[in-house]
Amino acid sequence: MTDARFDELIHPSTRLSLMATLAAADWAEFAFLKDRLDLSDSALSKQLTTLEEAGYIATERRLSGTRRKVRARLTDTGRTAFEGHIAALQAIIAGAATP
Amino acid sequence: MDNIPADQARAALDVAERAQQHVADEVGLPRGYWWAMAAGWIVLGVLGSETPAWVAGAATFVFGAGHAALASRLLDGRRRTGGVQVSAAVAGRRLPLVVIGMLVVLVALTVLAGLALDADGAGHAAIWAAVLVASVIGFGGPEILRVLRRWVRA
Repeated sequence: MTDARFDELIHPSTRLSLMATLAAADWAEFAFLKDRLDLSDSALSKQLTTLEEAGYIATERRLSGTRRKVRARLTDTGRTAFEGHIAALQAIIAGAATP
Repeated sequence: MDNIPADQARAALDVAERAQQHVADEVGLPRGYWWAMAAGWIVLGVLGSETPAWVAGAATFVFGAGHAALASRLLDGRRRTGGVQVSAAVAGRRLPLVVIGMLVVLVALTVLAGLALDADGAGHAAIWAAVLVASVIGFGGPEILRVLRRWVRA
């Protein structure tokens, strides 16, 4: 059972999408995230940095051929925060439905 | 936590669910798998039609062994592209069974098509049947698998 905990850092739509995407994956490449979230390189980098500084995600730079690729994954702390935030959102909705 | 209204919470949940659904849509097999399977299908059709039974039998064994080796890495459906590896929880465990079931049905379809073409007097019925089914696999494999996944909720 996940403890409901509203997380201000995750709540903005772009970061929530980013966290939800990574929560459903073992890892995702920068290009994949950029395409799916429809963000510019700089906007995605900024979001990733914010989440990485909070300890919610980890990034890894890998050399693929001659190109350097960035791969991101959720940390255990990030997964706990994401699941807690989702539980908090569900609790708000359930609370509103209760007369 | 209680500062946001329920409709905003609902909208946020929708955002998260949509993002996770996009990742779930990535479950599948690489395009190259389907084209390799289609090519193998045609080769087996040609060998079955034009060579002694032992050659076709040996080729079928090699094809099956090659597929089994690939299957252990690919059939979980988590690495369709190099951009993301879908988590095991999202991919589920039933995809390999769906793919194997699909291949068994396609083998049956090849045999039936071969018999029908042969009964109709077509020359090289086995080859044409293999080409027909290989086209289905190559062009429609990913789509067929997507529909099957939806049907069995895999």
